[in-house]
Amino acid sequence: MDFKESTFMYLLGCAVVAFIVLQSVFFLVKAWKQGKKLGIPASTLKSTVISSALFTIAPAFAILATVITLAGSLGLVLPWIRLSVIGNITYEATAAQAALDGFGVSGGLNFPVQDKAVFAAVAWVMSVGSVLPLILLPLFMRKIQNKIGSSVKKNAEWADLMSAAAFIGLIAAFISRSVSGAGKPEIIGDGAGVMSVSVLLSSMIFMVIISKICTKPKMTWLEPFAMPLSMFLALGVAVLLSQTLPANIVKFEWRG
Amino acid sequence: MADSYLDKAHRWGKISSLTSVAVLLSVPLAICLYYDVWPAASSVFSGLLKIIPLFWTTGVIEVLSFSPLLGVGGTYLSFVTGNITNLKLPCALNAMQNAKVKSNTPESEVIITISVATSAITTTVIIAVGVLLFSPILPRLREGVFAPAFQQTIPALFGALGAGYLAKHWRVSILPNLFGIVFLIFVPTLEAGTLLFLTVIVSLIGAQLIYKRGQKKDKAA
Repeated sequence: MDFKESTFMYLLGCAVVAFIVLQSVFFLVKAWKQGKKLGIPASTLKSTVISSALFTIAPAFAILATVITLAGSLGLVLPWIRLSVIGNITYEATAAQAALDGFGVSGGLNFPVQDKAVFAAVAWVMSVGSVLPLILLPLFMRKIQNKIGSSVKKNAEWADLMSAAAFIGLIAAFISRSVSGAGKPEIIGDGAGVMSVSVLLSSMIFMVIISKICTKPKMTWLEPFAMPLSMFLALGVAVLLSQTLPANIVKFEWRG
Repeated sequence: MADSYLDKAHRWGKISSLTSVAVLLSVPLAICLYYDVWPAASSVFSGLLKIIPLFWTTGVIEVLSFSPLLGVGGTYLSFVTGNITNLKLPCALNAMQNAKVKSNTPESEVIITISVATSAITTTVIIAVGVLLFSPILPRLREGVFAPAFQQTIPALFGALGAGYLAKHWRVSILPNLFGIVFLIFVPTLEAGTLLFLTVIVSLIGAQLIYKRGQKKDKAA
């Protein structure tokens, strides 16, 4: 059995998930009781629960799809835990890649992690990298709500642009690697080549097409699925190319 | 004098945040203890150094930006469960609209907390069930005809993410991507984790210049 998906790992995952659910139930019950004290009708509180659950279904499946994407390298359980607690696919994929780079693991997330020490390091980097907000909130939450919040509102446009620019810069590093990055000469699939560029472009094209479709009035339900669907279709292109093109073309990497 | 609901919510939130930190860090610790493997601290720090400047800066910005929108309970719970911009925040705003409550009121505090809590429970259950159902199939998918797909997860993932940002911020997107591609022509083996320092800085500088130019145009008009 793969150590990444052992019984121990699944028990760990279940424990974390139980913690999240209990915490959420606690806040929900307390807020419900307060709602009744404020005189909010029970029907309003119930419909809030129902509408929020329904609203969540599609994005939750989209998050599940990203868990499956990372599972090829990290197994199912660690991405499951990480995307259930503080999780965000961009963070988790970047943190995992940074940890694998630190060990000189060529190909990074494109190949299954075989070494337990490397796997543990990935778990540390993913966990510690995302922990800061949970430390800041207990210390500064009241001040933020009172004072700083209004300042951010005034500079919201600039803050949004800088935040987007930070993500764009992060994504650019991975896109650049797929176009002109070199891997190890003895490993196939870890450097820029026919496959990486084909999959990259396919993913972008699918995303543009699906996003356009989502702007149609009856197709807005597709929006949460745009990213994972584009990703899976691009991976489908990888499978198609590997089955149809000659092996020397499919495996060609211009940077090694 | 009895604590107000908000005082209590702050207290619960502090407890939940700090216990969540403990649970979060106990996962890698448990892995190390169970498998008796202790990765070299230098390698872990090397990975952390690559991401902390960006992640922690973004974390601060998110705390400043989201907490005025999500109220007390909603903020603490959202940051514990994650997926804020793509799920919790729009879910909370949708709930407020449906309940017809104004923001920053005692009623919105209740509605947002209920909404975020429900969303967290729903997400957690769907992902858990999905993982358990998918687990027998995954080993078979990794080999055979699907193996090439698993080798290209990074271009597939970041291509889709990049296209999303390109559509909304195409001016900002051009420079860091061009810079990264050209830089790697000269330093081809530079890993993504290190390259991203440079591409993020280039992207921020480019965005700042675009913002300043936009402000000048607005003033001139």
